[in-house]
Amino acid sequence: MATVVGGGNGDGRSGRAVDVPRSPLTRGRPGTSGPELATPPLVVRRREEEETVVTFPHLIWKEFLAGLTMFVFLLVVSIQVNAPLLQRANTAITPNPAKAPWYFVGLQELLERFPPVMAGVAFPSFVIIFMILTPYLDRNPSRRPQDRKVAIAMFTIYLCLAVSFVVIGVFFRSLAFNWDWTMVLGHPGLSSPT
Amino acid sequence: MSATPRESNPVRAFMSEVWGSIFRHGLPTTDKVAARTALTNFFLHIHPVRVKRSAIRVSYTLCLGGLSFFLFILLTITGLFLMFYYIPSVDQAYQNIKDLEFVATFGLIIRNMHRWAAHAMVITVWLHMARVFYQGAYKPPRQFNWAIGTLLLLTTLLLSFSGYLLPWDQLAVWAITVGTNMAKYAPIAGPYTRYLLLGGRNVAQGALIRFYVLHVIALPLIGFLLMVVHFWRVRKDGFTGGL
Repeated sequence: MATVVGGGNGDGRSGRAVDVPRSPLTRGRPGTSGPELATPPLVVRRREEEETVVTFPHLIWKEFLAGLTMFVFLLVVSIQVNAPLLQRANTAITPNPAKAPWYFVGLQELLERFPPVMAGVAFPSFVIIFMILTPYLDRNPSRRPQDRKVAIAMFTIYLCLAVSFVVIGVFFRSLAFNWDWTMVLGHPGLSSPT
Repeated sequence: MSATPRESNPVRAFMSEVWGSIFRHGLPTTDKVAARTALTNFFLHIHPVRVKRSAIRVSYTLCLGGLSFFLFILLTITGLFLMFYYIPSVDQAYQNIKDLEFVATFGLIIRNMHRWAAHAMVITVWLHMARVFYQGAYKPPRQFNWAIGTLLLLTTLLLSFSGYLLPWDQLAVWAITVGTNMAKYAPIAGPYTRYLLLGGRNVAQGALIRFYVLHVIALPLIGFLLMVVHFWRVRKDGFTGGL
């Protein structure tokens, strides 16, 4: 083990010596004082003075709990709600409305409002390229929200637009992809939306 | 740990040796043991040994990246089970799904989990992106990892989209028809792209086998490779920590 952690540190004792206090991993933490190594062998990143913890078990434990929660949630949902399965595919019968999967319904909504070349090609390409280039375009070095009002505003507008287009496509579009309040509000004259 | 010389029971000594050959260290009783355990374990090595306490607060990360990875694993496992029953043929696919629902033991719940986990993964990946943006965690030195993350988001969407066709029911075929019709609008390349994707002019057998191969082999491999690079860079660039 010491060959991995402290190997080749030039103190003449590299090799199999299992001397825990000299581990470089314990450096820079409050409350530990060990002899400094001549060359930092494995952990080369400089740690700030902030308090650190070992990822195992601190982070692993959180990840385990998060994963377990998600698994139980999905298990309960899967017991209660069946995945949709309609009639066998029939290219002669077009369902009305024919909708894309929900995460692409926003694009379908764009197609309703803009010329196809813009909605189907220009907008999505622009969004993808702009998103990839975001860190290179945003020259503001600060990470504090109060210094990043423009960036946060732009991203929030984008998120709101994306979410609302999906919501419109899923909940407010019915026959022939026309606008329809009745899916959410129910038919006038009926007591409930069902 | 390795067997102590005082161990007199030969069976226990042997078991102890086996255990010690697999796990180089004991349970993380102290930080030092924990650090060495993490260093010598292939799976734990995905994380740095130490991180800032503020960087792993649940209120900071919301566990979204980790949950996305967890869902990817869950989808791989449930997808593997589904593959035992599923034949990507227009004559058989729909019946295979019916069999999964009504004949195969636990088939229904495995299919349900695969479906809902796929939707959940689209959501967690989106939220992870939003989280990283709002905290400015894409700023130097992490610019390129944001770009990889964007590609991972696209891969997630394409994985979900390609899987959508496989049940071969009305929902699947017409959603893919609508979805791939969008590709048609690209100038010049559009119709060719759609033809390439569908292996024909309509959503038929050619499209089913292409989407199947993309869904079970090509896209998961691309996604896995991107994830490996993504995680590696998270580890090398360090965690951003609290604002």
